[in-house]
Amino acid sequence: MAVGDLIQLLFSTAIIPAAFGGVAWGILGGALPGISPSITMALLLPFTYGMDSTVAVVLLASTYVGAEYGGSIPAILIGTPGTNAAAATVIDGYEMKRQGKAGEALGISLYSGFVGGLFGFLVLVLLTERLSSVALAFTPPSYFALGMLGLSVIASLAGDSLLKGLMAGVVGLMVATIGTDPVTGLNRFTFGSAELLSGIPPILVMVGLFAVSEMLVQTTAPGWEKATRETARIRFPTPAVWRRIAKPQAIGSVIGAFEGMMPGAGGAISSFLAYNEARRWSKHSEEFGHGSPEGVAAPEAANNTVACTALVPMLSLGIPSSNSAAVLLGGFLMHELVPGPMLFVQHGEVVRGLYAGLLVANIAMLIIGYLIMGPCIWLVSRPKPYLMAFIYALVVSGVYAFQASLFNVGVALAFGVIGYALRYFAVPFLPMVLGVVLGFMIESNYRRALVLSNGDLLTFVRNPISAALLATALVVLAAQLLRQAKSRADAR
Amino acid sequence: MRNRDLLFGITTLVVAAVYYELAVAIPQSDLADPVGPQGLPRVYALLLAALSLILIARSLRRSSSSAGSSNPESRIPNPGAGIARVIGMLLIGVAYIIVLPWLGYLLSVAALITATIYFQGGVINGRSILVALSGAVCLWLLFIWLLRIQYPAGLWPSVI
Repeated sequence: MAVGDLIQLLFSTAIIPAAFGGVAWGILGGALPGISPSITMALLLPFTYGMDSTVAVVLLASTYVGAEYGGSIPAILIGTPGTNAAAATVIDGYEMKRQGKAGEALGISLYSGFVGGLFGFLVLVLLTERLSSVALAFTPPSYFALGMLGLSVIASLAGDSLLKGLMAGVVGLMVATIGTDPVTGLNRFTFGSAELLSGIPPILVMVGLFAVSEMLVQTTAPGWEKATRETARIRFPTPAVWRRIAKPQAIGSVIGAFEGMMPGAGGAISSFLAYNEARRWSKHSEEFGHGSPEGVAAPEAANNTVACTALVPMLSLGIPSSNSAAVLLGGFLMHELVPGPMLFVQHGEVVRGLYAGLLVANIAMLIIGYLIMGPCIWLVSRPKPYLMAFIYALVVSGVYAFQASLFNVGVALAFGVIGYALRYFAVPFLPMVLGVVLGFMIESNYRRALVLSNGDLLTFVRNPISAALLATALVVLAAQLLRQAKSRADAR
Repeated sequence: MRNRDLLFGITTLVVAAVYYELAVAIPQSDLADPVGPQGLPRVYALLLAALSLILIARSLRRSSSSAGSSNPESRIPNPGAGIARVIGMLLIGVAYIIVLPWLGYLLSVAALITATIYFQGGVINGRSILVALSGAVCLWLLFIWLLRIQYPAGLWPSVI
C-alpha cells in the first residue's frame, strides 16, 4: 500500500478515532486485574455491531493492543498482573516500584510495548497476505479441511487435558448446529423458538464464556491492592537505559513474533520465554529478579508483538490462535467478514484499514499510555463491587443493544453459567469457542463436498490443498499427543 | 461428589444422550443430501459420549488409586457460602430481563447496579445508591442518547 493511499484511507474513515478509542479502552480494561484482553474486547463487541466494518475491526484490534500494555500497569504498581501476559513483568517491574522506580518501569514497559508492537505489525503485513495467496484455489473440500485444521488447534489450547479440550470442542460444534440446517433449510434444535432460527451468534457465546463467567468468579475472589498516584508518573528511559534494553526488546520481539503465530502459545508463554532468554543473554543476568530494566523490557516487547502476530493465522486462515484473536474473529463474523483465504479478495479494503488502524494504535499507545495513567490509577483504586456492578450493567446493556433482544441477554447469561461450570471443572473454553465459530463452515462444506463428489469420501484426499491441510491437522494432533505422553512419562 | 472429572463426565454423557435423542427426531427431508440434517449431530453426540466414557473411566481409575479432588488446576474452590452469591448474581440478571419491559432502562439498570454491588460484597448505603444512579445515567446517555438503541420505555415513559 502506497503512503498516499494510507493517508487517504486514514482520513476517509473514522480509523484514527477508533484506534485511539480502542487503545484507551484496552488500557483501562487491561489495567483491571481479572479483566483479560479478551474480556475487554468481548465487552466492546456488541457496540461494534452498527459500526462501519473497518472501524469496528480497528476498534477491536486496537483494544487488544492497548490491553496488552494496560496489563503491565497493575503488574508494576501493585504486583498483580492485569493480564496473564503481564505476569512476567511483575518479577522485575514490581521490584523496581519497591525501589522507587515505578515511573521508570512504566516508561520502559510502554516504550518496549511500542517497539514490540511495531515489529509485530511489520511481520503481520509481510506474512498475512502471502499466506492467504492460495485463496482462489479453495473449494468445499479445502474449506472443510481448513475447518478441521482450525479444530486441531484444540490440541494445543487444551492445556494439560486434551480429553477435556476435545469434549469442549465437540460441545461447541453441537451449539453450532442450532438453527436452520445449511443444506436442507430444516430447523434443528430450535424448540419452536423464532429467535433460534438463525442460530446462536458467536458473540453471545463469547460474552457469556469470557465476561459473564469471569464476573461470577470474581464474586468470590478477594479484592486487589490499591495503587497510589505518587508512584506513577511515567518516566521515559534515559539514553543509557535505551541502549541497555535494546537487546531484550529484540529478543522479546522475535520470540513474540513466532509465539504469536503458534496456536495456543499466546502472550503469557511468549513473555516468560522472552524473560528467560533475555536473562540468559544479558551481561547483567544477576540483576534479574531484583529490579532489572531488561526484565521489564523483554516480556513487554514480547506480549505487544503477539497482539499483532496472533492476527496472522486469524486473518489468513481464519484460525484464532488465542482467546483475543477468537473474539476478534467474532467481530469479523458479526460484520459478515469471513477471515480466511477469501477475505483479501472480497474485503481487501477492510484488511488495509485494519493494517492502517494497527499502525495508528501502536502510536496511540505511546500517547494515551502516558495520558491515561491518572484515570487508570483511579479505576484500579475503586472498590471492586462498584467496578463489577458497572461491568455487569455494561454486559447486559451491550448484549441487548446487539439485536435489541432480551432473549440474547438470557442466552449470554446461560453461556456465563456454562463458562463458570467449565472453569469449575477446569475445562478450557477456547475449544468450545472454536467449535461454535468453525462448526457451520465444517458442516456446510463437508456436506457440499460430498454432494459435488456424489458421496465420495476420497474427495478430501484427492484435492491437494485439502489433503495437505488434513495432514497438517493430524500432525498437530499427533505432536500434542506425543508431548503429553512424554510429560506423563517424565512425571512418573 | 469430590471428583470433578467424574461429575463433568457424567454431565456431558447426559448432554450427549439428550442431544442424540433430539438429533434422531429431526425430520427427514426430500431435499436431503447423503449426510442429511441428522448426520453430523448424531456423530457429535456419539463422539461426546465416547469421550465422556473415557473421562469417567479415567477418573474412576484415578480415584481408586488416590483420594481427593483431581482438579488442582481449577480456579474455583469447592462450593461453599460463595455459591449463594454467584447464584444471586445470576438471579439479578434474570430479574433485569423480567423487569426491563416494565421499569424501563434507567430504573432497571440502576437496580441491577445496586443489587450487584451488594452481591459483590459491597454495602448498600447512600453512596452506593448514588453510584448506581449516576452509573445508570452514564449508560443511558451512552446507549439511548448516543447510540440510539431502542430500549423498552417501561410503564412510566413520561417520568423517565
